[in-house]
Amino acid sequence: MSSPVIRLTLRGVLARKFRIILTVFAIVSGVAFVSGAFMLTDSVKTAINSLFEELRGDIALEVRTPIAFGDEARAERDTVPAALVSGIAAVPGVSSVEINIIRESTIVKPNGKPLKTSGPAFGISWLGQDGLDGRTMLEGREARGPGEVAIDKASAKKANYVLGDTVTIVGPTGKGEFTLVGLTGTGDTSGGGGASVCAFDPATADAFLGAKGFADSIYVGLEKGASRSTVQKEIATLLTNKYEVIPGEQSAKETAGAINEIIDIFGKLLLGFAAISLFVSAFLIFNTFAIIISQRLRELALLRAIGASSRQIRLMILGEALIIGIIATGFGILGGVGVSKGITALFNATGAAFPSATITISARTILASLFVGIGVTVTAAMVPALRASKIPPVAAMRPEIGFTALQHSKRLIAGVATLLVGITLLCLGLFIQPGGAIGILGASGLGAILLFLGVASLSTSFAAPMSAAISRVLLFPLRPMTRSVAGRLASRNAQRTPRRTATTASALMIGLAMVSTVAVIAASVQKSFRDRLQGSVTADYFVTSDGFQGLPPAFGEKLAALPELGDVSPFRISTAQINGESKQIGAVNVEMGNIVNVKLASGNFASLGKGQILVHRDPARDLALSVGSSVAVTWQNGTTTPLTVGGIYNDSSIAGNWLVSLDVLSKASTAPPVDFFIGAIIADGFSIESARAAVDKVAEEFPSALVQDQAEFQKSQEDQLNQLLFIVYCLLVFAIGIAVLGIANTMALSVYERTREFGLLRAVGMSKRHLKRSVRWEAIIVSVFGATLGIAVGVPLGIAVSIALPESFVNGISIPFGTIVFVLLASIVVGIIAAIGPARRAAKLDVLEAISAI
Amino acid sequence: MTSTTPTLVAAAAALNASKIYGKDDSEVRALDDVTVDFAEGQFTAIMGPSGSGKSTLMHCLAGLDTLTLGKVFIDGTDLSGLNDRELTVLRREQVGFIFQAYNLIPTLTALENITLPLDLGGVDIDQAWLNDVVRAVKLESRLTHRPSELSGGQQQRVAVARALASRPKIIFADEPTGNLDSRSGAEILAFMRHAVSDLGQTIVMVTHDPVAAAYADRVVFLADGKVVDEITSPTSEQVLDRMKKLGS
Repeated sequence: MSSPVIRLTLRGVLARKFRIILTVFAIVSGVAFVSGAFMLTDSVKTAINSLFEELRGDIALEVRTPIAFGDEARAERDTVPAALVSGIAAVPGVSSVEINIIRESTIVKPNGKPLKTSGPAFGISWLGQDGLDGRTMLEGREARGPGEVAIDKASAKKANYVLGDTVTIVGPTGKGEFTLVGLTGTGDTSGGGGASVCAFDPATADAFLGAKGFADSIYVGLEKGASRSTVQKEIATLLTNKYEVIPGEQSAKETAGAINEIIDIFGKLLLGFAAISLFVSAFLIFNTFAIIISQRLRELALLRAIGASSRQIRLMILGEALIIGIIATGFGILGGVGVSKGITALFNATGAAFPSATITISARTILASLFVGIGVTVTAAMVPALRASKIPPVAAMRPEIGFTALQHSKRLIAGVATLLVGITLLCLGLFIQPGGAIGILGASGLGAILLFLGVASLSTSFAAPMSAAISRVLLFPLRPMTRSVAGRLASRNAQRTPRRTATTASALMIGLAMVSTVAVIAASVQKSFRDRLQGSVTADYFVTSDGFQGLPPAFGEKLAALPELGDVSPFRISTAQINGESKQIGAVNVEMGNIVNVKLASGNFASLGKGQILVHRDPARDLALSVGSSVAVTWQNGTTTPLTVGGIYNDSSIAGNWLVSLDVLSKASTAPPVDFFIGAIIADGFSIESARAAVDKVAEEFPSALVQDQAEFQKSQEDQLNQLLFIVYCLLVFAIGIAVLGIANTMALSVYERTREFGLLRAVGMSKRHLKRSVRWEAIIVSVFGATLGIAVGVPLGIAVSIALPESFVNGISIPFGTIVFVLLASIVVGIIAAIGPARRAAKLDVLEAISAI
Repeated sequence: MTSTTPTLVAAAAALNASKIYGKDDSEVRALDDVTVDFAEGQFTAIMGPSGSGKSTLMHCLAGLDTLTLGKVFIDGTDLSGLNDRELTVLRREQVGFIFQAYNLIPTLTALENITLPLDLGGVDIDQAWLNDVVRAVKLESRLTHRPSELSGGQQQRVAVARALASRPKIIFADEPTGNLDSRSGAEILAFMRHAVSDLGQTIVMVTHDPVAAAYADRVVFLADGKVVDEITSPTSEQVLDRMKKLGS
């Protein structure tokens, strides 16, 4: 029963290889993104998990402070008394105990300059070969006294130190000089994974790193044959309920988990782009099949006439889609390997140091790719297939009847309905935001898809007039000769098949709508950032950390001591619960009031110094707080601090929603403090030059510190945003590339269909050049039409998203006219590129043969 | 002339068949109350000037198109009562087609084209019959060729073979020789004559060529959507003569 259908399907695919290769290509990139995203996350996660297991070495148990709520891996934990070590060491079965202290410590090179590293600069406590973490001794021995240090071999090599040299190190308590006695490695590498590592003996670490008898945690190793659960219970009995003892791999898992989350976010981003390129591909597939069907109208009608059922026709078309989908998915999975390797390489090139990993292709990756690749192809072919099955058999003899049957009258109503539902969903998602992040993304994502489909569907109705208008504008500057022949032909041809013009343009519309949306959001973010910097920041200097680990408090303290600087305040961030919900609390000095203008609505900034809390007007309104109200703040270690509201402010763009003094925070928590940024103002009577020189001198001791004045700060923030934009645009280029294929596809078909017409034109004297030009102009008109639609959809979408974004991101709308003009001009280039092949083919036609073609 | 009631034993019949396009002022009656039947085992030619409704009549008889008024029957079955699925099966099993051009699926070989209706219906192929048919149309050496590798005459022979392969109740041919040179045309007509005389097939052929019509047992003349005349055992001179009268 199905054998002739299968045969017809296979032959159908083989007969249209070229068209199908184009279609396959479009789907391949989408599937490659999908499978690449999965492969990347799978392989990097596996690598990270094994790396962390290795780093944990033989830590069987770890003693640390529990947290009351929140994320284990990123928790701010109180310290543990180092004195617990002796008690733990006496527990039967324990082979070794080591205190874990990690603080920023910078190696100073022999020339007096700090050693620059791509990762953090650590000082740690280390017992040496007996040590429990994954560190290995490569040369020499471990540090054994106050004047000794072991550093990682990679850093020693970079700084040109050899065993026996005196090394200057800047730590939390100041500068120190140490004799280099050992070179270490991590796992099987000679470095510290991009970080520099200074390893001291426990007593030196305690003093030099300023731990004051406390450790971040305590590592415990076991004797062979000892039962871990027994030892764990024994240790637990030694501890008060202020501390907990956990298996070593648990905290390894927690840390790896936190990194995996970041990888997951990245994977989701890739999946997002996969969705966009697949969506665009769907238009191309739809168009290809619609084209294939009108080309084969007579054949399909003949099949119907001699007894093929409409179901068999439908199966045949869907079968072709299935074959295309399977081929594309196969290539897409291969492409995914490339995508995931490429991205890893790209990130490693920028110093992110992804662990090297063999690509993992899981069953899930293959299933997801098949589902997406085949699903999209078959779904996109569904409507053309349905339409094909409705071709009346009599069209075998009267094709004009068949073409009428292919027309679609309810398009306008369906289009308007889809558009309205799309806009409604989009607004619902963006502004009412039901059901948290999933609701926002789900509703607005579905809304956007429907919006695009609606516009694509409606664009058929105005494809003809708009093409006419576009050609009038575009062709106007040309010489009258060109305008009258090639141009007019191109314009008429674009108007001749409005539906095809519209579908072709729609693919480009989606890509360019995304570009304009992103451009509007980016411009608005930039404008808001600039306004904020001008309106609410009076700081002369911003010091941030160029790594992720923040700044050591010593830096801020040194800055505060400079006579050249007036007000100086660090900004620390801590997690706490207020009213049962987790909040980010900022901790600052009272001087911050002069550095950042939070625009107080009531109360005063000085109340901060009296141990009171300042609240932004939004949470204040939600919790009905006013000056004088009481708020209970529960920190991550479980301590609750009752605080009085000292002021309500309006501008949360830099300060966040809650502000307390550093004092309040340090009284509540003993977690090692880290500054997020430091703001400073030049003291009266000092010149900009002298102040900068003084700040830079202090900063030299802290290589991770990045000192910037307002202009530099603004520029670096904008650079970051531009980098992000660049990546987003690069990925969108894929979607636009698919759209270009779509235009090329349609143009190739138009040329094929008009073989006779072109032959006639050539016979009556049109030159090859004019013919080519006419094809090229048609492609340009179609792509400018697509770009116009894209901008018309994308700019309002961008404005809507900008309005919906929180005030701390965007508080004003800016429309990037430059980018919009660029997009329009680029679309002309897109048209020219898409027309290269088809134009050449049109010019190559043999005049006699073309005229006699049926 | 239209008074005879069609016999239900006829291979195909039309009863008060009308096909009307457009409305009111722009109304066009392609068929105007046509009643006619086609006996089993006969070769009938339908003739008439352009626009006389001969193609429309054939399309409606074959279940390719629907009537505005009246009924058509194939082997006693009223087509107006059938849905698309039943019509498809009827076309596949009871009806064979030979068109003027575009007869074959370009991606299938000659043999695959011949057996296509059988394959579509999932019917087992009667190999002996298929061999007879292929031999009769002299296509033995061409079976693995694609349509693009065959001459126009060969392509039409494939179409004839396809129509015969499923042993349909009736074969409809729409200007089967219209695109052929006279020698190939004569060949095709001889095959059709052979199919009726020696194999007992029923054929209805639309044509405007008096020479082609002379191969038939009976010629039915249409003008302005009505049956206006008929001749049995025609010669091409008789047919030409009638056609001239109709034209005047």
